[in-house]
Amino acid sequence: MHDPLQASLRIGASGLEAQSKRLRVVSENLANSQSTGRTPGADPYTRKTISFESEVDEAMGASLVKVAGIDQQRTRYRVEHHPGHPAADANGFVKMPNVEVMVEVADMREANRSFEANLQVIRQAREMISMTIDLLRST
Amino acid sequence: MIDRIAPAGSPTASPLGVDQTDLVRVPAAATSAPVEGADFGSMLSELASSALGAVKQAETISVAGIRGQASVQQVVEAVMAAEQTLQTAIAVRDKVVAAYTEISRMSI
Repeated sequence: MHDPLQASLRIGASGLEAQSKRLRVVSENLANSQSTGRTPGADPYTRKTISFESEVDEAMGASLVKVAGIDQQRTRYRVEHHPGHPAADANGFVKMPNVEVMVEVADMREANRSFEANLQVIRQAREMISMTIDLLRST
Repeated sequence: MIDRIAPAGSPTASPLGVDQTDLVRVPAAATSAPVEGADFGSMLSELASSALGAVKQAETISVAGIRGQASVQQVVEAVMAAEQTLQTAIAVRDKVVAAYTEISRMSI
């Protein structure tokens, strides 16, 4: 079956799924923005990044979106002076996660907008299908 | 009354035997009929079974969603697909019924 409207529904659904995974990663980063290590000098939480790629659905010949992978961002950790902290090194410095809260919030907004756009596609495709079915009703 | 008591007393009584042969014969006649007009009847039954399948799948996924095994998007997608299939089936049925009424109203 090569119904383009059904394909649109399916593609929109894949977009919704991808964006909800993105929001999951953002929420992990935000929740762990203060998570340090437990032992002196240990590495704290490392920011996670998500990337997407297109995936061709053989049955419909449509390009869906899927999560290509969730990786860790290898950038420098912030260092704060907290003597007495369990993760403080000999000089009293604690490594803090490399999570920028503002960047995460911006990413969250972007996920929200993209989710909304995909929902709009689904809504539109449904409306077009319903309109076509309604042709049978009006006599 | 005697017909009703007789099968209970003796399982191999004749009324039951007649019923069984009737039951066997009727489906045989019914199955042979659609073979002649396979186009329209099979189309309708295919439509009905696909609608039924979509509704059943929506139910399965809804239950899985309540259990937390399926995401909200999957549940919504399945329910929407079922609704759409059902709407198509209902629209086609209405059209078919309208056609039959039209024929029955024909003055001969």
